[in-house]
Amino acid sequence: MLLAFLGIPLGNIGVLSFFTSSSARLWSPVLTTANYREIADAYFLDLIGRTLTIGALATVICAALGYPLAYYLARCSRAALAVALFLLIMPLMVSAVVEAFGWIAILGREGILNTALASLGVPFRIDVLYSQWAVLVALVQLLLPVMTLPLMSAIEDIPVRLEEVAWNLGASPLIVFRRILLPLSLPGLVSGGLLCFTVAISVVVTPALLGGRLGRMLGNEIYDQALSAYDWPFASSLAMVLVLIVFAAIAVIVGTSRRRQSRRGRA
Amino acid sequence: METEPEPRANGTPPGGGPADTETGLAVRGLVRRYARDVTVGPISFTVAEGEFFSLLGPSGCGKTTTLRCIAGFEPVDEGIIELAGRRIEKVPPHKREIGLVFQTPMLFPHLTVSDNVAFGLSVHGVPRREAARRAAVMLALVGLSELGQRRPDQLSGGQQQRAALARSLVLEPPLLLLDEPFSSLDLKLRVQMREELRKLQRRLQKTTIFVTHDQTEALALSHRIAVLSGGRIEQIGTPREIYEQPASRFVADFIGNANLLEAEVLGWRDGIADITTESGLRLQACAAAAPTARRVTALVRPELVRIGNAAASVANTFTAEVTEVVYLGDEAQYRLRLGVRAELLLVRKLTGGSDTLAHASVVNVGIDPGDVVILSR
Repeated sequence: MLLAFLGIPLGNIGVLSFFTSSSARLWSPVLTTANYREIADAYFLDLIGRTLTIGALATVICAALGYPLAYYLARCSRAALAVALFLLIMPLMVSAVVEAFGWIAILGREGILNTALASLGVPFRIDVLYSQWAVLVALVQLLLPVMTLPLMSAIEDIPVRLEEVAWNLGASPLIVFRRILLPLSLPGLVSGGLLCFTVAISVVVTPALLGGRLGRMLGNEIYDQALSAYDWPFASSLAMVLVLIVFAAIAVIVGTSRRRQSRRGRA
Repeated sequence: METEPEPRANGTPPGGGPADTETGLAVRGLVRRYARDVTVGPISFTVAEGEFFSLLGPSGCGKTTTLRCIAGFEPVDEGIIELAGRRIEKVPPHKREIGLVFQTPMLFPHLTVSDNVAFGLSVHGVPRREAARRAAVMLALVGLSELGQRRPDQLSGGQQQRAALARSLVLEPPLLLLDEPFSSLDLKLRVQMREELRKLQRRLQKTTIFVTHDQTEALALSHRIAVLSGGRIEQIGTPREIYEQPASRFVADFIGNANLLEAEVLGWRDGIADITTESGLRLQACAAAAPTARRVTALVRPELVRIGNAAASVANTFTAEVTEVVYLGDEAQYRLRLGVRAELLLVRKLTGGSDTLAHASVVNVGIDPGDVVILSR
């Protein structure tokens, strides 16, 4: 069932990506690899590179911010957890469009951030709106819960006593983190990171509203090719590239953690 | 049951005089306050080098809190903790160099047993090869030499707890803290582990604080015991002192079986107090000095109550009826009624097959004045 819902549209796009584009009928069923050859152009490679960079940076920043947050959530009292979880999950219930407009109000040339800086007498302005940096900031905000929640449940499964034992054996808090917490919470970090990265490289709305020309990502290109240029075969080939990147990311990460586990098993 | 562990081979027996604070542990006026008016302390005690010291009490008496304060996991609100003459109450836990074994083994699940034991060494910068060698020596000492390459979940509960002990001991801590280390094991294994721990302690002469609510464990293992109740120490003494000369009603009741008789002092002369219990028994009791209070509690251990011919030769003799018989295999417990209201618990070791008292039979009961302990209420 699940496989059918995933496989049929995906197969459809896969087939479509080898068709020839036609201005009259969206596509003509003449097989060609021209769509993929077209991607091997500097513009599109640059676009893919930027998409991956933004995705990777958003994932890393989310992990760095999300880990302390997840640790706090996993160890705090029940009452504090209820409040903190509500605050964390609330943004997920707001549309990405609304959030993007919020960021425009904050990051704009005359936005809240620059107005505040000016009134504090800071002589420069932070001009990040309509660039990849605005996209990154918004993505981090959007994806922080996605990273934090799986990480939180992974840390919850590690008994506090285990940290105390390591501490008692002479490990400073930093070493406890590196040698006990991090390896034991790695599955949570991996699934949070994969979710984060996958969503980050396939967003459309956020870069469309905040990215401008500099922050354009693969999702925007697919959207424009499909709905503005009406080149469905080319849009399909771009989509296939995105899907392959996601599969590759999953394969690499799952592969490495498998190898780590089997190495530990042998040791 | 051997209740008096042999003293150290060299020097004075631990727990004899005041502890040598240059090498042992001293806790002075320790107070830990929680919210909602729950306070532990003030608690003061010293542990001599090589001594096996137990903190014994019911759950919630403050024994684990005291241990966590010494380990550094609980902040100390008042008082000082000195280890080998050095103040440590403000030192962070990873710099205290105190060994700690919890109730549950808490082995690191992502490391092998050997790497678990070597963890502390590698944190202290001992080279990998050397750490592995010392871990192997320690694993051999606790009888796990074959299992070093296993993962913790492939070990039984008892083996895991022994590995946890090895993980602490390999660092050669000047002080070892054991927080009910056997309570997660079943009874038979617990007894076996207790014996192993006793042998290990004899061999290593490790200064140890042992937290337990199990009086048998405390009596069997300790040089000295501190009995705690409601966040305070009720009594500190050797197992024999704690059992035979309890300082309070709580200690008498908590350790072993006890006949506790509420009584009034009628008089005192030449080391003998004359008392009458609320249930109407007249008793003579040995007391070195005249009791300071009129209203007291008299303690008579059930196994010291005499019956039959042995009862005739002592100062306090009564006639009693057996109202309840509980057969426990190696011993029998009887409830005796003396006169109208007085009740007494009697415990007899069963040496032959047929020496149990029959229900409803009438026996002569004697209590030696030397077996009565007068406790102030």
